[in-house]
Amino acid sequence: MAVIEATTTPAPAPTQPVRPRRRRGSLLPIVLVVPAVVLLLLFTIAPAVYAVVLSFLQVKVGGGLLGGGDTVEVFVGLANYFTTLADPEFWASLGRMLIVAVIGVPLTIFFATLFALCLDAKKARLVGFTRLAIFLPYAVPGVVASLLWGFMYLPATSPIGGQVINYFGSTGIFFSVANVAVWGVVGFNMVILYTAVRSLPKDLFEAAELDGASELQIALRVKLPLIAPAITMVALFSVIGALQLFNEPTTLKPLANAISSTWVPLMRVYTDAFVNNSIYEGAATSFILIIMTVAATVLVNVIGRRFARRETK
Amino acid sequence: MRKTTLRTLGAAVGVLAAATTVLTGCSSTGSGDASSSGGKVTLNYVNWDGGMQTVVDEWNKANPNIQVKLTKPSGTGYTLYNKLITNNKAGTNPDVTEVEYQALPALIANKVVIPIDKYVGDLSGEFSKSDLAQVQFEGKTYGVPQNVCPMVFFYRKDIWDSLGLKAPTTWAEYATDAAAIKAADPKKYIGNFTAADPGWFAGLAQQAGADWWKASGDKWTVAINDEQSKKVADYWGDLITKGLVSPEPNWSAQWNTDMNNGTLVGWVGAQWGPNQLPSIAKDTAGKWEAAPLPAWTAGDDTVGIWGGETEAVTSNSKHPAEAAKFVKWMNSSKDGVTSLIKNVQVFPASIPNQTLPALKTPPPFMSNQPDYNSLMATAAKGVRTFDIWGPNANVTFDSYSNAFGAALQNKTQLSAALDKMQTDTVSDMKKIGFTVTG
Repeated sequence: MAVIEATTTPAPAPTQPVRPRRRRGSLLPIVLVVPAVVLLLLFTIAPAVYAVVLSFLQVKVGGGLLGGGDTVEVFVGLANYFTTLADPEFWASLGRMLIVAVIGVPLTIFFATLFALCLDAKKARLVGFTRLAIFLPYAVPGVVASLLWGFMYLPATSPIGGQVINYFGSTGIFFSVANVAVWGVVGFNMVILYTAVRSLPKDLFEAAELDGASELQIALRVKLPLIAPAITMVALFSVIGALQLFNEPTTLKPLANAISSTWVPLMRVYTDAFVNNSIYEGAATSFILIIMTVAATVLVNVIGRRFARRETK
Repeated sequence: MRKTTLRTLGAAVGVLAAATTVLTGCSSTGSGDASSSGGKVTLNYVNWDGGMQTVVDEWNKANPNIQVKLTKPSGTGYTLYNKLITNNKAGTNPDVTEVEYQALPALIANKVVIPIDKYVGDLSGEFSKSDLAQVQFEGKTYGVPQNVCPMVFFYRKDIWDSLGLKAPTTWAEYATDAAAIKAADPKKYIGNFTAADPGWFAGLAQQAGADWWKASGDKWTVAINDEQSKKVADYWGDLITKGLVSPEPNWSAQWNTDMNNGTLVGWVGAQWGPNQLPSIAKDTAGKWEAAPLPAWTAGDDTVGIWGGETEAVTSNSKHPAEAAKFVKWMNSSKDGVTSLIKNVQVFPASIPNQTLPALKTPPPFMSNQPDYNSLMATAAKGVRTFDIWGPNANVTFDSYSNAFGAALQNKTQLSAALDKMQTDTVSDMKKIGFTVTG
């Protein structure tokens, strides 16, 4: 042992002459990456830093009835963060977002998986056309999709029973919003899962078939466990998508009384910044949301990985 | 990852391209300014009213040395005002902007607009006290009032005639008529209560005698949940509970359909209604008639306003004198106001111009009511507004939509929504640093 150790310790020595070569070669990647990094710094990082700064400020008017003195920005520390966190309406908006997520995310995953497995089935016909048809709603901008569904929900224009069913009721509204979101993203997630299924080695299915497994059994017992990592990714996308819920409720808002201007957290950010003219509180709420998004992402990732590991066992 | 980077890159390139466009945009106005050395001035003006371009064209024809360039803002109302407040620091605001009366105090408090007394002179001979109260604060004038929008009652004359009903003169009659209409056809409503329009409810509260904001010296008093406003809220709440008034918001596809197909046979609206109705209820032209707004006590002609605007000169403007000249021409000269009446269908705030020949023709949608504008002139005399709009009416208005929307949705008492508006408004004013009680 000792002898081997003695011989292996000087082993790193041969790598030393390699280093300069690597350095010379490393210039090109840097040059290639620089524009992207500069743009990222300029248009993503810099505004983000500015937003952090804003979140610690608050505007104060000078004296006089209409602030005759100068309006100044004052440092208020974490006050904006506390205002948001102490506001029950913020937690209510978060709760509403979660309800939509609880309805929408499982449905998205379920339908995306179902469609992907069906399209991959041996007996599937018109696969290309169907795949495109399922994907198409993803190409429809969220605002357009919401308007389209909004008209389908309104009693005056509804072809799907809006005269009988109240799509804008206090409970119904969550399903109505989730429906628009799911309709829009199922196609995209289906493509991810379908690609995952297609990239699986075919001999696995052939072997299963020879063993007498039915098409359904192959789908559920062979394909499904193998695409578990892809499903985790789809779940991740859906959760992040749910946290970013904005277009659908904002577009549906003017159609009925069911949706307030602070219905979901992002609408609150928008209202704070651009309706109530307090970009400071808007910035603070944004950061709280970013922290929550990162936390949710990590959580889904961890759960997904555990799940995938158990499947492979 | 690679895809994300590419997308970021793409977005960044897009932003760069946009930035370049903005820069060239700036430089082109810059060159316009530069030519002012030759005595020629270019003013930028934002306004979203339909037909405004024709008015501007007429000015440009008559004033070759002060050319006005009209742009429509990307968003109306508070979207525009908040953009003006933000851009004020960057110094990129247009010279002249449209401002609805209730938003002017906020723009003054944020130093977006400037007093124009020295350019427009004394306006007291030409405008009513209540109109001037909308643009004058602490002894300074910040705009020339363009129009006065008294609230009126629109009703489907054909349907009311067939039911043997007459336009209500009091709110008590309105309630009786509402029941009669419902009894004749359970599908029909006399009207709707809109949570989407805070200015509408404010107008009704003004009629009832409310004063949401009051100023004395440097101190504000806020009384949004006062007795008068609660009376209005309770009145409508009662009609909604009885199913006589629809709780649907204005401006939705549903509302358009209901207004067009006779489900809604009345509308508590304002002077500018006929300008909007063609796009709301296009099949009903000539079937509506306007009547004075029902009163709380018979014979009382007090009404509130819903809407109305002034033009203001921004602190970013390099040519305030010329800008003020344009503003005064448009809203107080015979030529300017005539053009506004013809093209934008306004009812002018300027009293000498309330008898212009152009007002003898009713708006096209109301061709069946030739005396439409004399009704407006009468209604304008009874206008009562709040003493002053608060410096954060935007917060109050947003709170209205949320609180009343929730109350209608959950079928809770409407007057409680006023308490929420009061709390939201007062706490925001305190936060910004105003001295406020209430």
